[in-house]
Amino acid sequence: MSIINIDALTVKAGNKVLVSDVSLDVEPGTWCTIIGPNGAGKTSLVETVAGLRRVASGSVSISGRALSTMNERERALVVSLVPQHPEIPAGMTVREYVSLGRSPYHGLLHAPSDNDHRIVDSVFDQLSLQEFAERDVVTLSGGERQRMVLGRALAQSTSVMVLDEPITGLDLRHQMGLLELLKTQVEQGGLTVVATMHDLTLAGQFADRLVLLDKGKVVLDGPAGQVVRSAELAQCYGMNLRVIDVDGADVVVPVRS
Amino acid sequence: MLNANPPTGRRVALVTVLTLVGLCVAVVCGLAIGPTPIGTMRIIGSIFSHVGIGHSTLNSLQSTIIWQLRAPRLVLGLLAGAMLSVAGGTYQGVFRNPLADPYLLGVAAGAGLGATFAIMDIGGGTYTPSWTPLMAFAGAMVAVSITWIIGGRGLRSSASTLILAGVAVAALLTSLQTYLQQQASAQSLARVYIWLLGSLASASWSSVDLVLPYVLVCITICVLAGRALDVMSVGEDESRSLGVPVRRVRLIVIAASSLGTAAIVSAVGLIGFVGIIVPHIVRLLVGTSYRRILPLSVAFGAAFLVFADTIARTVIAPSELPLGVVTALVGAPVFVLILSFRKQLVR
Repeated sequence: MSIINIDALTVKAGNKVLVSDVSLDVEPGTWCTIIGPNGAGKTSLVETVAGLRRVASGSVSISGRALSTMNERERALVVSLVPQHPEIPAGMTVREYVSLGRSPYHGLLHAPSDNDHRIVDSVFDQLSLQEFAERDVVTLSGGERQRMVLGRALAQSTSVMVLDEPITGLDLRHQMGLLELLKTQVEQGGLTVVATMHDLTLAGQFADRLVLLDKGKVVLDGPAGQVVRSAELAQCYGMNLRVIDVDGADVVVPVRS
Repeated sequence: MLNANPPTGRRVALVTVLTLVGLCVAVVCGLAIGPTPIGTMRIIGSIFSHVGIGHSTLNSLQSTIIWQLRAPRLVLGLLAGAMLSVAGGTYQGVFRNPLADPYLLGVAAGAGLGATFAIMDIGGGTYTPSWTPLMAFAGAMVAVSITWIIGGRGLRSSASTLILAGVAVAALLTSLQTYLQQQASAQSLARVYIWLLGSLASASWSSVDLVLPYVLVCITICVLAGRALDVMSVGEDESRSLGVPVRRVRLIVIAASSLGTAAIVSAVGLIGFVGIIVPHIVRLLVGTSYRRILPLSVAFGAAFLVFADTIARTVIAPSELPLGVVTALVGAPVFVLILSFRKQLVR
């Protein structure tokens, strides 16, 4: 049984259709990456799965319950978000920032419980954040910040995590490091990931499944190896793409016409 | 406010203790300093006698001066300082705007118009009618309501839309107020200006009774919102993804801040600067968490305004300086001083 059900979803901004009649089912403990050119509707789709956008028609359900029937707190207990451009509030320590992920559990009028502290400690261990714990969040480098934002989402202990371009702005080592961390959560923690990514090679290597989106519609949906080798992929991007096998991994290379 | 090391618990505790000591000193100063010298220990003895401990050694005149003149003025000053400061801090948090103050959504302009109308049209400009506070309160609440409605009821719109609506409403009401003032005689204009500049001179226990329930409830709501405002510092979308009902929190917090501010303004007029400067001073001392800023702003703001009022009523006694002028004259250098020493303070 799938954990995320997207049924005939249409999302609009004013009269502009951002996502059009999209239907997807995502299995629990899998990684689904949405790919597509700029303006394809990737961010709108994942933001809707995170409950941040109003649905024009259709529905999004998590664990059988429609997001539209949940309040903010109920949604925050089932789906967490790693935004593309997270707000980094100056003056907050890394520990305080990661602890924000426990807000849906202890509520807005109560202090975090011992259990909340234990979970935050365990996230710090998993992501090796201890050395930054008491630092001001604005003093972290890009890679450290992204790890911290992932830490906040992990502290939410949700079954579904939505990530919008999580490796944007990171160097190669930090890109791989972050994706490996996430993959561990999927394989060992049973986390379900829905992410958007521009890097087709990394998307193909880490995701179990790729969904190619163009002009708000699903063009192709399938196993990563199949989607990156499809003719539709090159068509959507309007360019020549070549896929090279490097030690069993598909590397997608754009070729100048 | 870039700190390599946010404030430690020890520093927060130290600032809290010093603020509370300052508050106690302000209370004693508020009661002890005045044209009729009365010994501090005798005042403290009188305070204890009111709670059934020991006997007061004050004669009846001294007792009247302390309990009917200075005490209500002190309590109203404490309430005004606490309310304006916590409302300013709350506004800065909910709008994520360091320039926000309690008058942001038109409270000052609405109250000013209401008071001007009461003094000039009802009082004919020859006296300040007893219902001036009521008119000021009504004006303030009407102004905030209009801002809320034209700002998209704050539910669908962003915080910046609400701020812009507040700017527009304040401009409109201020222009109406200016038009009314233009029609006024010099005598009535002076009355209006005295009211607009803010003063605790007409404080009485009845004015304390009138504002106390509003202020206590509103301060409690604002302080309790600290944790929500901390989460909201990551922006609207991210805080919603963390389970915060952002629009509902915004509505509750704005309603509480505006209502409390309107109640205070109706009693003491427009006292500027406190609402913007106190939360900033507290932020520089204890960091950016609203769980620390808001309760400390209550104590700091209360003490600050009582000190400012003590200066206002003593430096050119028997006349008084406008309280709003003193808050700016005292507050600005204190703020600049703390800003200059920020690097040392945050270590």
